[in-house]
Amino acid sequence: MSKKSQGISRRRFIHTGAGALGSFALAAPFIRTARAQAPTIKVGVITSLSGENIFGGNLTRRGYDFWAEMANQKGGVEVGGEMLKVEMFYGDDQSNPATGADAAERLIVQEEVDCLFGPYTSGSTIAVQPICQKYQVPMISGSAESPNVWKAKPEFNFGMIPAVDNSAGRSLGVLGDMSEPKAAKVAVIGVNEPFSKETGEGFQAGAEEAGLELVAYELVPATGDLTPTISKIAALKPDIVAVGGHEEVLINVVKTSKSLGFRPAALIMHYGVTNPAYAEALGADADGTTGISVWLPSVPYKDDLFGTAQEYNEASHNRWGSYPDYTEAACSASGLVLADALKRLGKKPANPADKAALKDAIAETDITTFYGPVKFEKEGDHYHDNIQPVPVLIQIQDGSVVAVGPKDAAAADLVYPLPAWN
Amino acid sequence: MDLLLQTLANGILIGGVVATFAIGFQLTFGVLHVIDFAVGAWVILGGYLAYFMSSLLGVDGFLALPVAFVLFGTLGYLIGPIIYRVRNSRTARPELMALALTFGLFTLLRGGMLTFWGFNTRSVDTALSGGSLMIGPVAVPMLRVVAFAFAMAAAAALFFMLYRTRYGLAIRATAENRETAGLMGVDVHRLSATVYGIYAGLTAMAGVLMGAIYSVNPEIGLRYTLFAFFIAVLAGLGSVGGAILAALFLGIIEAVVATYWGSAYSHLAIFATLYLVLLVAPKGILGRGL
Repeated sequence: MSKKSQGISRRRFIHTGAGALGSFALAAPFIRTARAQAPTIKVGVITSLSGENIFGGNLTRRGYDFWAEMANQKGGVEVGGEMLKVEMFYGDDQSNPATGADAAERLIVQEEVDCLFGPYTSGSTIAVQPICQKYQVPMISGSAESPNVWKAKPEFNFGMIPAVDNSAGRSLGVLGDMSEPKAAKVAVIGVNEPFSKETGEGFQAGAEEAGLELVAYELVPATGDLTPTISKIAALKPDIVAVGGHEEVLINVVKTSKSLGFRPAALIMHYGVTNPAYAEALGADADGTTGISVWLPSVPYKDDLFGTAQEYNEASHNRWGSYPDYTEAACSASGLVLADALKRLGKKPANPADKAALKDAIAETDITTFYGPVKFEKEGDHYHDNIQPVPVLIQIQDGSVVAVGPKDAAAADLVYPLPAWN
Repeated sequence: MDLLLQTLANGILIGGVVATFAIGFQLTFGVLHVIDFAVGAWVILGGYLAYFMSSLLGVDGFLALPVAFVLFGTLGYLIGPIIYRVRNSRTARPELMALALTFGLFTLLRGGMLTFWGFNTRSVDTALSGGSLMIGPVAVPMLRVVAFAFAMAAAAALFFMLYRTRYGLAIRATAENRETAGLMGVDVHRLSATVYGIYAGLTAMAGVLMGAIYSVNPEIGLRYTLFAFFIAVLAGLGSVGGAILAALFLGIIEAVVATYWGSAYSHLAIFATLYLVLLVAPKGILGRGL
């Protein structure tokens, strides 16, 4: 067999390869045109898909994705009388605000997204805001709760959850009012990062407002051992211990307190307690923990896409295998806000002027969803934050989250004081 | 006074907890001359093993201790030769290649855990969970006492092996000079695999305790890697005895600063201590390896 007949010759290979490349180069603009003929609404999600906030990051992603899936099942979102499918793009902030800003820039410049859905953490949200401003791309933040996000008066960012200064302090006041015998002393622990620190400050302000004596205010590193902090607080014998932090720290607070034989009359935590993973990790030790929620499946709201809050709750559970908490719910409702604004805008935001118009349409939102009413503040310290939802005091009882206060929202009695550890 | 006693007890016990995974890290550096960034992943794998054994089989989390040693020790024994090969290759800067390899191993294990077991934080339940011992006014968490005892027992066993057995002599000879040990008949290749296996097994056992004392999720491994590295630097890279001293020293500093100045300053104090020690004694507090 001659060498030539063994396979393709070098000359033929080059000719064929060059022909194929040339054909592709000529066809490429048409391929692009073909894609452009089926426009979609491109949404970029920046959140923590790795790093220490991976748990919450994935909850936000679930919430956003669930809206996109549900919307696409019904044909997409209505834009100028036409139904456009939703296409999701993701940027991992690696639990690092600076990386979040880079990811946002990539999604805006390379993926040409029409709108962003905001990060899990307030720190990343604050870092992404200037990028939104620079490229005039609106962002709807389904998770950020730090008041500093809104104090900066972000023109292009909108928040679904009331800032924590609005909810943490108020809930501590409700807990103080409901306690019997009356609580007198409070100790506050806050993880030293923006959201948790401001939650701690919210608790501090709430304690002062409620006339409770603040015996300790401790900022702790997220990676630190809590034994010294809990020992110090135990020695001060507070009635209430209030904790601002994310799920892992909350679990470690309970475990460390138990290992030191210390149980205050009430333990109130902000974010994380309402997620079933908290009770699963701690088992019976989670019982009695109080927390704050701006949404529960029992709220009396509904919308056309998700139905009632209870229907959303079940559908989300069927999709992800766990029940959603208020952050997941707020993230899903972010999509409803975007869909409503696009419908009113009446066109796909193809250029910076359109995206600015989309921002204006979002600012005028006034809708009711399964999550509750959504309307963004137009001035003040909560500029562009949706402060409509009313926070309720919840408590874990027999592994389930139940509303215990204020009294008109309560589904069960508050367990107070908590019994000593068994 | 009560608070001071409690603080010192807390510090010693924090040190004991950290020492559990720092000693294996030191052994590996001493023999393989590798800074193993995968240490945090071995800790987390041990924690997950205990979690799944207690939640799926309904057994006490402590029963995972021997299983962790055998399972991850075997895995470490199989991975050890690869690390040895990279560390002793003829490529430029093999020490950096080995560092990159262990970092890659860490990333791979973390990603695998994330893919298979998700992102939820889990907690290991044991018979001693939440239990504490009252010694006068001082509350001593039982799990931390167990962790402290484990660290001491593991260090004692390592010392016995290193200084009282022929195999330990071979390990120390290899740590001192690999080529000469090889010429004296030591199977350096197999010995390195065994040492890495012992290290991986011990570290996974420490992970069982970490999962019971704190909690476990794939993302917290990096924290353990950093702590092991800080202790190794403070102790002197490769020094097993130094690791215990350094861990206790840092534990007491963390507890005292957190109690009397505020927890916000505890890491600042740890880094300041590290910096000062390196300035005064660049080879660490004991200044020597195995």
